[in-house]
Amino acid sequence: MTDHKAAPDPRLADETMLEAIRRRIDAVAHDAPHLAKIALEAMVRKHNPDLKGTANSAGRVGKQSGNVSELTAIAPLKPGGAERLRRIFDLTNGNMDGAQRVSTLHDMRFVFFDDDTRILFATTYDGDWDSYINDFATKIPELMDLLFANIEGWPGIDSPAVKDFIAGHQIDAAGWFVANPQVTVVDTRRFQRMDKALTVFLDQMAANPPQDAATRQALDQLSQALAQPEGVDY
Amino acid sequence: MAFLTDLKARFTREHVTLALDDIQALILRSRPEPYVGLHAMLHIDDAEGGRALLLRMAEHVPSAAGWTDDRDAWMGVALSFEGLKALGVPDASLSSFPLPFQQGMAQRAEQLRDVGSNAPEHWDAAFQPGTCHVALTIYARDDAALAVAVDKAMGELDRSHGVTLMGQHAFGADADAKNPFGFRDSISQPTVAGSGVAALPGQERAIAAGEFILGENSETGKPVAMPEPPELGRNGSFVVLRKYQSRVGAFNDFIRGQAQGEAAEELLAAKMVGRWRSGAPLPLTPDHDDPALGADPQRNNDFDFSQDPRGLACPHAAHMRRLNPRDSQLTILTDVNIHRIIRRSSTFGPKWQRDLTAQDDGGERGIFFIFISARAYDTIEFFQQEWINRGNFIDLGTERDPVVGLHETPGTFTIPRVPVRQRIDGVSTFNQLRGGEYLFMPSLSALRWIGGAAWHG
Repeated sequence: MTDHKAAPDPRLADETMLEAIRRRIDAVAHDAPHLAKIALEAMVRKHNPDLKGTANSAGRVGKQSGNVSELTAIAPLKPGGAERLRRIFDLTNGNMDGAQRVSTLHDMRFVFFDDDTRILFATTYDGDWDSYINDFATKIPELMDLLFANIEGWPGIDSPAVKDFIAGHQIDAAGWFVANPQVTVVDTRRFQRMDKALTVFLDQMAANPPQDAATRQALDQLSQALAQPEGVDY
Repeated sequence: MAFLTDLKARFTREHVTLALDDIQALILRSRPEPYVGLHAMLHIDDAEGGRALLLRMAEHVPSAAGWTDDRDAWMGVALSFEGLKALGVPDASLSSFPLPFQQGMAQRAEQLRDVGSNAPEHWDAAFQPGTCHVALTIYARDDAALAVAVDKAMGELDRSHGVTLMGQHAFGADADAKNPFGFRDSISQPTVAGSGVAALPGQERAIAAGEFILGENSETGKPVAMPEPPELGRNGSFVVLRKYQSRVGAFNDFIRGQAQGEAAEELLAAKMVGRWRSGAPLPLTPDHDDPALGADPQRNNDFDFSQDPRGLACPHAAHMRRLNPRDSQLTILTDVNIHRIIRRSSTFGPKWQRDLTAQDDGGERGIFFIFISARAYDTIEFFQQEWINRGNFIDLGTERDPVVGLHETPGTFTIPRVPVRQRIDGVSTFNQLRGGEYLFMPSLSALRWIGGAAWHG
């Protein structure tokens, strides 16, 4: 994989942010007025900060939006590698213990192509690209090596060269959409726990309504925030 | 010197597996208490002159052999990537250093979350990229011993050519070893396997030597990334140096504004730090300070968080618990043993005063946050991203470290209480970054390898 990092157009180097936005609007508006309208709307709209994404880099390669990052990599497989990986996925039924313990992974996708000679690996995860790679190397080395040892040149998760190896195969996503850029996997689990706990709490309150005014008011505020269906706003 | 005397008693030569006589003493040797010292930053203008100085300086750098013995003063030498370049180290070696080290701390600002008021454009001149080539640190037990050691080092500098002193910084603290905020610090130190000393009570098992000494096996069972050739890398380590200006007046004001009366103030400050001012840890004494406990190295680190899963004694968000969660349940798969550091921080400026306000804080207090680890450049980036400037790993969303976090907008601090947690608003950046660098601390033989330009064969 050497062809994915095309040199940027040198004419764009000095372009300011605003010019860049104008140019993008121009380019899109010319081809498809409808798309331009959506893009413009998205740019000028006042965002709820809780929902706001960003267009950052996830450290070395890959895009980051809010707390969430993407990693896309394409690599050649060792002969028979696709078959071995398929067996692992069949065996685990997609349920990878260890990967779940990581708690920064939103998803992982393994796609074989070119007659099983190459793999596309794509994942969405929380935080920066390499924050927890060192932890994987001591906590779940077997899982990491099981999954990636079928890739040509895999140096081993405990190799000092592993970060360079991964970065060398990564491709920045050109377009990427995140529904909840501020919400981590850990947050999601907490929200689920909170939802259950809140239901129990509200049942208790309904059965035994508080008498003092301050508590009643706090409870009413809580109910107002929860009781009305809301459309999903991006 | 109770701590050092105690180390001496626990040292067993038969348990040594490390090449102590090749490792710089500073790596294993803790600060004396009380301590004084000096940091000096040098710039190499001429490779040959720089190498000649390095060779002569190496004579004044003690090895870690006998690292538990008493000593009046000792010096450590560390080099930045730009420094190695300026000394003429060949490209084949330079390119074998880990990427973050090659880039230098200022260029890693994004990964380090050194943005806004902590961004490199606000740093001291001595830390502007490419300025600090060589960092010398001298620790001494008293001013007289320091003067002797400084005279020696500065004498060598005077006799050198092509080397410029970019800045120097004196530091020191009394026997109570208090940081600018009035808290005893640098208490928890990892035990390095093979160094000849067994773990103190409360210290977890010894940590694999390769986490601190290059070329040794790390917690993965293999060495971590090491520069080439082995003559350069082996028995060296990496150092993170970050100079903070401590906004002690602002911290005092914050505490006063959030708590009524001295007892409540002390409790809130302790909740933020995780220890009382004496160093006594909250898990052992949750309700009041215990100076005898704080001063006793046998007891002041002898705890874990197994009895405090809710954080009722020591909040999950407390600085001490964040940076060394020990056996705490974390939300994310983490190996706490690969994020341990050898702390060598040094405090500077006047002693802490309770009545100091932001109004009359002249900004002269601060701390050189210095630590040693074979993967120091990874560790600090992990700290800054995950443990300091986030709360995700302790299920606190975006909450940041209340003492060393960067708070671009006023932050919150969550204190678990019964029946409902308390949340305090208005946390600001109490420690402002004034500069820093990634440094490589070579072995004694590697100092001579560089000084003698041994790559010429």
